[in-house]
Amino acid sequence: MSKYFYVVRTQIIKSLTYEFNVYGNIIMQTIIMITSACFWKALYKDQGTVSGVDAESMLTYIIISSVLSVLLITNVERRIEASVEKGTVATDLMKPISLFGVYFAEDIGNMTALVFQNMLPILLIGTVLIKAPAMADVRDLPLFILSVAVSFLINWLIAALFGMIAFTAVNISALIQVKKHLLRLLSGSIIPVWFFPDRVAAVLKALPFVYIYQLPLSIYIGKGGRAEQIGQMKIQFIWLVILLVLFCFAQNRVTKKVMVQGG
Amino acid sequence: MIEVQNLCKDYLLKHKEPGLKGAFKGLLKTEYETIHAVKNLSFHIDAGEIVGFIGPNGAGKSTTIKMMSGILTPTKGSVLIGGRDISKHRKEVVRNIGVVFGQRSQLNWDLRLGESFELLRHIYQIDQAEYDRTFDDLDAILGIKEIIDKPVRQMSLGQRVKGDLVASMLHSPEVLFLDEPTIGLDVSSKFALRKFIREINKVRKTTVILTTHDLGDIQELCERLIIINHGVMMEDGNLSQIVDRIAPYKTLVVEYYDESAPEHPKCELTWHSGNIAKYKFMKKDVTAAEIIADLSGIKTIKDVSIEEAGIDDIIKIAYGST
Repeated sequence: MSKYFYVVRTQIIKSLTYEFNVYGNIIMQTIIMITSACFWKALYKDQGTVSGVDAESMLTYIIISSVLSVLLITNVERRIEASVEKGTVATDLMKPISLFGVYFAEDIGNMTALVFQNMLPILLIGTVLIKAPAMADVRDLPLFILSVAVSFLINWLIAALFGMIAFTAVNISALIQVKKHLLRLLSGSIIPVWFFPDRVAAVLKALPFVYIYQLPLSIYIGKGGRAEQIGQMKIQFIWLVILLVLFCFAQNRVTKKVMVQGG
Repeated sequence: MIEVQNLCKDYLLKHKEPGLKGAFKGLLKTEYETIHAVKNLSFHIDAGEIVGFIGPNGAGKSTTIKMMSGILTPTKGSVLIGGRDISKHRKEVVRNIGVVFGQRSQLNWDLRLGESFELLRHIYQIDQAEYDRTFDDLDAILGIKEIIDKPVRQMSLGQRVKGDLVASMLHSPEVLFLDEPTIGLDVSSKFALRKFIREINKVRKTTVILTTHDLGDIQELCERLIIINHGVMMEDGNLSQIVDRIAPYKTLVVEYYDESAPEHPKCELTWHSGNIAKYKFMKKDVTAAEIIADLSGIKTIKDVSIEEAGIDDIIKIAYGST
């Protein structure tokens, strides 16, 4: 295990050397946050609540959504793409360490650096420009943290499975963009799925994406009862298991394939 | 130490037809072509040897090195390192080998060199005292401490290769694979690198397998050569033995005082221009001294010199023979 912790540590140092890159994401997230805030304020003008959520909760929702989006940045797809393109998979394979273990540790490292570089600034900007995003019920905090941890894993596994395409297709940068924006749309990170038509919402609830953003955010703003939240977390957990099984299966096949075709 | 048996590697290559028509056809139906990159290679390398792996571009050298270092799975055959099959026990076996690819680095581009070394120390779980000892030894040969705080991005190629060499030796592997390590290096960097290879081979008894196109590398480092071409083993043996076998001749260059040159029954007059004549003779048939004595009996000789078949001739002949 200690070797993976050291990979995390090295990645944190590496991420902290890219000082400039950080500001771009802060600016982008601020724009998304402010635009959504104006959008929701306008929509809620003559409405008290929609699906049991009032305007204030909705503002909290979007601020925390922006904060969460920082934690859910994955680099594994681009990492695989770059190493396939440059042929550095070979140098990764010749070490006594698991390929995807390294990728995971690197993303944990990236995330840790981003908490300081991005998450805290965005939280501060949101608080100053929009409102203080207080939690609806602080007693839900453990449940919130647990759901965020599971959504981090689900999000990473989806990204890793996606990135494996690069082992065959080599260049997937356009696909990465499509996936990124599709995921933001389908996960309720910008528009919660309860605003979607019932049929669409039902389909989305059957997919894993809403359990990445919408579930933890709902817990944060206290939408739905405890029973409903626990029920959704069960589905979230089932998705985690499904994706984990899929990942393990794909990982073995992909590693073997790389070793047959060459780095 | 290393046992290679009937090693084969086939690649499937997409067969692409020319032109726009071909490109569309390729979308509908892809035909594959099998490329036999390495064919039935078998050899044995003892601990402490330095073996040069040579052959023209595309001969299958790098493929063989990749299979020997566990990066590629062979199509057929096996590689045993220290008695263990590398494709079955990859994680354990790679702990015992180091690999340097001259054209790609395993160092972390954005960080100072020392950070990459520390990471490797943790990945290979090297004990701190042991690590310090190894590092000091390597530093004594290559002088790496002066660049340890420099980011790899800012290094010259020579410094980067030094860094890669140290990185590959930190876990004290018994076998070191070098794939074109001297490519693109200047004379003094090449010299430092060769010295490093000789030192680790002598002091640490590291078995070294290197591929190269540099004749100097071969002459200065390799006691044994394996020449492959088109994935097939052409020669395997001691450098001087290979020279004797492939080129069992020498050339005697004689300068006369005038433009006529006499023939000699035991050798062949291969070149004659002006006052200079070249005689090619078989080493087993006759000695240079005999020819000189015979020729000077016929004509007065001004000067003589002997050209031996060099390593470059050997390579030319070996590469050209298929």
